[in-house]
Amino acid sequence: MLELKDIRLSYGSTQVLNGVNLSVKRGDVASIIGPSGTGKTTLLKCINYLAKPSSGTIAFDQIQMDYQHADKTAIQAIRLRTAMVFQQFNVFKNMTVIQNVMDPLVVVQRKSREEAREIALRELERVGLSSKQDSYPSQLSGGQLQRTGIARALAVRPDVMLFDEPTSSLDPELVGEVLKVIKDVTSSGITSLLVTHEMQFAKSISNRIIFMDRGVVAADGSPTEIFDSPSSLRLAQFLNSEHSLQ
Amino acid sequence: MDVSAMIPELLSALPLTLAITFTAIIAGFCLALLATTLRVRRVPVISHLADLYVSYARSVPVVLQLFVAFYGLPLLVVLFGSEDFFSPTIAAMVALSFYHGGYLSEVMRPAYLAVDRGQHDAADSLGYTFRQKIARVVGPQAVHFALPGYGNSIIYLIHNVALVMYIGAADVMATAHLIMQRDYNQYQFETYLVLAVIYALMCLIAWLIVRFFELRSPMQAPEATTKAQIKNALIASA
Repeated sequence: MLELKDIRLSYGSTQVLNGVNLSVKRGDVASIIGPSGTGKTTLLKCINYLAKPSSGTIAFDQIQMDYQHADKTAIQAIRLRTAMVFQQFNVFKNMTVIQNVMDPLVVVQRKSREEAREIALRELERVGLSSKQDSYPSQLSGGQLQRTGIARALAVRPDVMLFDEPTSSLDPELVGEVLKVIKDVTSSGITSLLVTHEMQFAKSISNRIIFMDRGVVAADGSPTEIFDSPSSLRLAQFLNSEHSLQ
Repeated sequence: MDVSAMIPELLSALPLTLAITFTAIIAGFCLALLATTLRVRRVPVISHLADLYVSYARSVPVVLQLFVAFYGLPLLVVLFGSEDFFSPTIAAMVALSFYHGGYLSEVMRPAYLAVDRGQHDAADSLGYTFRQKIARVVGPQAVHFALPGYGNSIIYLIHNVALVMYIGAADVMATAHLIMQRDYNQYQFETYLVLAVIYALMCLIAWLIVRFFELRSPMQAPEATTKAQIKNALIASA
């Protein structure tokens, strides 16, 4: 359903993505792992055009776009069918929890306030934040903020969920509550792409692991293939170093 | 000499001072909004003109800006073939609107830039248009960052309105000088003292209004949420 071809992107003279090819099938839960600075987050952002590749193409079902001729309609169409959860949460700071979830439904999807409210309440219940619906972001913990972010993303009913290191900026004791919610979301069958450093978690929820290294996809396979019989030295080294940290 | 006799005299000129102030507040706000939009979005040539305008408003002494407007505007309208309609009051309104707008633009621009990049990313990825993003997310947050600076700019504006007497507008300052001269300059200290109180009160009121909005901002939420709390905080800060 989602296919990225030969994505290239550089920040100044630093080449971040060196021709990434990636295709995601409906129902996939794919985790992208790899060393820091290999472009995992950047790749995820390219899908939403939050990062702007210099070349490459994207196909999302019938929507096709060449990044060299980026066109607003295609970008918007893709944005409307995906939803992103950010490392820094990026919950709207001027709105309460429930307003955060309702606002895109009312403003972008033009739903009535009643309907938006109903959906928002349901999603907040799902992430366990019903009691915090009227709190402002400045009153919440990191875990609660991230669960708000997840509820907001779920509420727009995306075809693909994009998780960008959703637990990387959380205190260790808050990681569990967020992982639990993500596990619940991915097991509901929604197509998901997850950039993460939580290897055990990636292994347990994904049907696919994508290993990125130096701006390309260096390995792509089932969790067993990747974790139990790494195909390359780089991958083995990476898994080893991650393992020794845990 | 009864000081209370000169208070009504001074206050009779207050409407003009306030008229100039409010005109500058409103027109200056619109100018600042326009200048800031152009400067943030970087349109070639036009953005540079906006930069030039802000630089003029911020670096040329206000009293000089008043003279430039007072002597320059009639030349400009005559050049376009219409009659000179610039009284000192109108020239003062125009000059101070431009001054305030330029100053305020340099409050708005940093406030816009202070909004976290991630807030833009989130709104963009959810499919907000640029306008929706500004209206719903970035604007309200920028207002929060801009309020303290906005309060200052209003106070500076009130102070600078006192300069309009140099081009002959009959504001409270000019009236105070008339009163002093009429009284053979016997009560200069008393008159200036009354004037100082009038200005202090105007600034206090302006500041309290701005402070009220600061406290009411949702991004401030934990400290003050109820009306009573806002009232207490206002009294404490006054």
